[in-house]
Amino acid sequence: MLREWKTEWIKVRYRKIGWLLAAYLLLIFLWITWALHGIPREQAEDGYRMMFIQLPMINTILVPTMMAMLASRLCDAEIKGDTLKLLCTLEQKGRLFDMKLLMGACYLAFFVLLQIGIIFWQSAVHHFVRPLESVQMFCFIVQIYLVSFAIFLLQVVLSFFFENQILPLAAGILGSFVGLFSWFFPNGIGKQLLLWGYYSQLCFIRMDWDKDTRITTYYSEKFDVFSFAVLTVVLVAGYVYGKRMFMRKEI
Amino acid sequence: MGSKQRMLRCIHHKQEGGKDMKYMIETNNLCKQYGEKYSVKKLNLKVRPGCVYGFLGPNGAGKSTTMKMLLGLVKPTGGEISMFGNEIYEKNRIEVLKRTGSLIEAPSYYGHLNGRENLKIVQTLKRVPEEEIDKVLKIVRLCDQQKKKVREYSLGMKQRLGLAAALLGKPKLLLLDEPTNGLDPAGIQEMRELIETLPEVYGMTVMVSSHLLSEIDQMATDVGIIDKGKMIYQGSLAKLHERAKSQISIHVLNQTAAVRTLEEYQEPYRLQGEELVFEDREETQVARLVALLASNGAQITRVTEQQKSLEDIFLSLTGKQVSL
Repeated sequence: MLREWKTEWIKVRYRKIGWLLAAYLLLIFLWITWALHGIPREQAEDGYRMMFIQLPMINTILVPTMMAMLASRLCDAEIKGDTLKLLCTLEQKGRLFDMKLLMGACYLAFFVLLQIGIIFWQSAVHHFVRPLESVQMFCFIVQIYLVSFAIFLLQVVLSFFFENQILPLAAGILGSFVGLFSWFFPNGIGKQLLLWGYYSQLCFIRMDWDKDTRITTYYSEKFDVFSFAVLTVVLVAGYVYGKRMFMRKEI
Repeated sequence: MGSKQRMLRCIHHKQEGGKDMKYMIETNNLCKQYGEKYSVKKLNLKVRPGCVYGFLGPNGAGKSTTMKMLLGLVKPTGGEISMFGNEIYEKNRIEVLKRTGSLIEAPSYYGHLNGRENLKIVQTLKRVPEEEIDKVLKIVRLCDQQKKKVREYSLGMKQRLGLAAALLGKPKLLLLDEPTNGLDPAGIQEMRELIETLPEVYGMTVMVSSHLLSEIDQMATDVGIIDKGKMIYQGSLAKLHERAKSQISIHVLNQTAAVRTLEEYQEPYRLQGEELVFEDREETQVARLVALLASNGAQITRVTEQQKSLEDIFLSLTGKQVSL
């Protein structure tokens, strides 16, 4: 297992995956900095809640395309160089699939970790007064990580099954649009049927915008455990199905 | 090197546990069916240890599918496969394949990595010492290009890199599917010479597929001819050569008289243009035939002996023109 893991790190050399993540993180940082720029002091005091709704929205728009690119970067080397017929004589087919997911999981963990860094940076700059609730931070991490990983899984399957990587990338762009529109749907079955809709479905912060005072009020809701459970089942089923399809694929 | 000499190189191999292994690769009624169509049908492949086994057949005959089934890349729809005396299942496949090297169709490579890094991946997965990389680079003469990105390699260099990857870990069995595809004449010659030496120098068994009869003729000791998924000949190349018996061709001015005489005396013949062709005749029979035709006014102008070439045999076996 360690050997397969080691070879995955050799394969990603010069693929500039770090730069891909850095570019997206920079975009998120600039976007959130712009969103917080010039906000009234009383609103900034409740900054953490603001971050816990703004960041999932930004992730909804940006992460599907990023996951499509990440999956493509990890998988297209095998497609372009026709290496599956060599690798599948040296390692179990299923393990290769697992390794790609594990690589994506590591990059995603790094990505989410740096987003937490952005939250603390903004907190230091804007002096958020209301203390950070650790449960909310935990829910935020679960929300972003789980939904992004499920999207990544879908993109890995698409990248392995389509030689032309335009199609998986198009699926990523479509996912961004679907996810963005899902923020305007009411919570429920409609969102639960769309993988990209889970960013908003699992969001535990809601907001009210007062037209007269032009002040936005944020308030917390209970974390949607049912939707979390549904997504977990979808993720496990997707993994089992995707891996089986990959293992059945003739090379 | 003649095929008889090459035959002598076949080495006895022992199976795990010390038992003599009769065949390095053995398949029993191996089948691959896509819908109603058979790509490979009831194939009984027998590859002796220490030989260069030439797997010959026209394009689309089922050579690559067979080799992919041996490597577990394509799932057979019927039959069994044994390698190194062990039946292959999905569970023991990787363990058995650790002792094999393969190069299937076009070479596999990571274009963004250099040659050495590509081999490092294979070396890590094969669990062999890193020094092996230098050895195989030397064998395929890529030492000077090892730091160059593989996407900048020529097709011949990529093919050599693929062979280097296959040779890593000194495998006991090497499966090469059309290894000379895309190589220039010098590269083909070089690859052929390298393949020829592998059994003797490294004790390897090599199974090499090709649609080029001349290529197989020059490097194989054993040959299997496949057509439309079926094995139509399997055995030593020397025995195939034995089939290349001579035929007598007689040119006459009066063909009507010649044909009438041959029909009258019930002599088997066939017409090939202007020539009367007679198969498998001994010298005394030829003398009698010539005398008979001459005495009946056939007016013989030329009697020639023609050796049946391997191409003719291939043609008679497959009914297809062989690539040269």
